[in-house]
Amino acid sequence: MSDETAALSPRDKWFRASVAITAGIAIVAAAVGFIWLPPFQAGARFQGVWNAICQAAGLAQPAPTAAEVVTAGYKTTGVVFTPGMFQGAGAESVGRGATLALRCTMCHGARGMSQANSPNLAGQYAAVVYKELRDYKSGARTSAIMQPLVVGLSDQDMRDLAAYYDYLPRPPAYHPASAGPPPEIVVSGATMRNIPPCAACHGGLDNKTGSPWLDGQPAPYIKAQLEAFKNGTRRNDISEQMRNVARNMTPDEIDAAARYYSSQPP
Amino acid sequence: MTGDPPPSSPHDPGAEHALRIERRWASVAVLIVIFLIVMAAVAGVHQATMPQLKLELVDPRTLHVSGEFIESNLGTAVEPDGSVTVRAIGQQYSFVPQCIVVPTDTVVHFRATSGDVVHGFLIDGTNLNTMLIPGFISTATARFSTPIESHMPCHEYCGVGHEGMWGKVKVIDKAAFEKLAADRRRLTCVD
Ligand code: HEC
Ligand code: HEC
Ligand SMILES: [Cu+2]
Repeated sequence: MSDETAALSPRDKWFRASVAITAGIAIVAAAVGFIWLPPFQAGARFQGVWNAICQAAGLAQPAPTAAEVVTAGYKTTGVVFTPGMFQGAGAESVGRGATLALRCTMCHGARGMSQANSPNLAGQYAAVVYKELRDYKSGARTSAIMQPLVVGLSDQDMRDLAAYYDYLPRPPAYHPASAGPPPEIVVSGATMRNIPPCAACHGGLDNKTGSPWLDGQPAPYIKAQLEAFKNGTRRNDISEQMRNVARNMTPDEIDAAARYYSSQPP
Repeated sequence: MTGDPPPSSPHDPGAEHALRIERRWASVAVLIVIFLIVMAAVAGVHQATMPQLKLELVDPRTLHVSGEFIESNLGTAVEPDGSVTVRAIGQQYSFVPQCIVVPTDTVVHFRATSGDVVHGFLIDGTNLNTMLIPGFISTATARFSTPIESHMPCHEYCGVGHEGMWGKVKVIDKAAFEKLAADRRRLTCVD
């Protein structure tokens, strides 16, 4: 009988044998799990031992580059939202924006409140104003009126204009009880037609970045935009998020939403 | 039983009776274990949803700008090897495309991801069920034998509009699909 210290030394043959057996089992098990079994999975292709090991161990792999990508025959938006992208726009930026905005007052009103049927910009989220201006400039959003006006604007000009309009007081959500209950489409959507409540993105329930403030906008403008999303003439929304909503709306729902959001305090 | 005193005699009728009952219960237990193992093995071979083959990453903020998840590249693509690839994204609160069309009797590779938060990707009436996680590409492979029209509800709470988030899946006859695919490179059934 060997004593304990001798038993745990590499000179002991039982010790060597048991370590070898344990290591052998580990290697065989790893080979079965990492190399032998994975190729049996549907869609798998065996591409070498090293690749099989990396795959089974869950190491990130680059997406296949060979696959062709079909590009759109029309312009889509190039704007990317990153967290905090409009934070820290200081008074200076607002001031520059106010100066630039003198060119816009004719249609969007002296303090961003439009008297005509062009959209109000007062209090509009900076992300929205900036994105729409960039989309007009790139041609992702088309408008015979707005596109020529943004040609000369630099990226900084657009940020300044966004900061200025964001700073102005926005028209309140004015929905007095006398106007009756809000339309179903706005507060509950139409779940059976893949329409979430408008309030889930446009404020009221939640605000999704890039969703414009709609309260107080002229009804003809809201209606025209919804129809443009529905029939595909406005395609600048990121990954069709608004087209998917408008596509399934009925004309009555479009009217109801336009009427509801256009309500303004007397 | 180990603490019990040994039976006074091996031929004690009481002890023998106890031993018989003990054996029967033991065989019932063994049968249950075998049944469970066989059940797990059969389900594993025939109905398994396998873990994903590869881990692929993608930047969720720029899906719409470049890469395979731009809007014009979403939908069903016919591959040179005869299989089809469906690319889709989930976002608050819709799937793109809103209606996915695939042929019968064809290997279908799904590649999907999320543009914002975690969504669920599940086709009713099939065992296709995965999660769409921003930053990761979820893949799955399927084969449909009969034409069906199914739904694809988002099954992961993704925000206040979650209950309105679902898509459609149409499995159509292979010949009809080929006709559609003749003049379009990405197919959807969005109307
Ligand atoms: C001649 C009138 C006119 C002038 C001047 C004008 N706009 Fe506009 N603007 C419009 C109209 C009309 C629309 C709606 C266009 C559409 O249907 O896409 C619009 C839309 C916009 C939008 C998109 C609003 C939204 O909610 O989606 C922004 C942002 C905007 N204008 C900013 C400006 C800025 C900044 C200026 C000044 C540099 C300016 N506009 C000058 C008429 C004008
Ligand atoms: C998933 C979030 C989401 C939901 C739900 C949603 N919208 Fe939108 N909506 C957006 C986004 C984002 C935009 C801005 C698109 C862009 O990038 O130009 C937008 C734009 C709009 C515009 C154009 C406004 C402008 O000034 O340019 C209107 C009008 C509009 N939505 C109405 C609605 C109505 C009505 C509903 C409910 C039936 C609704 N939306 C539901 C996200 C949403
Ligand atoms: Cu979801």
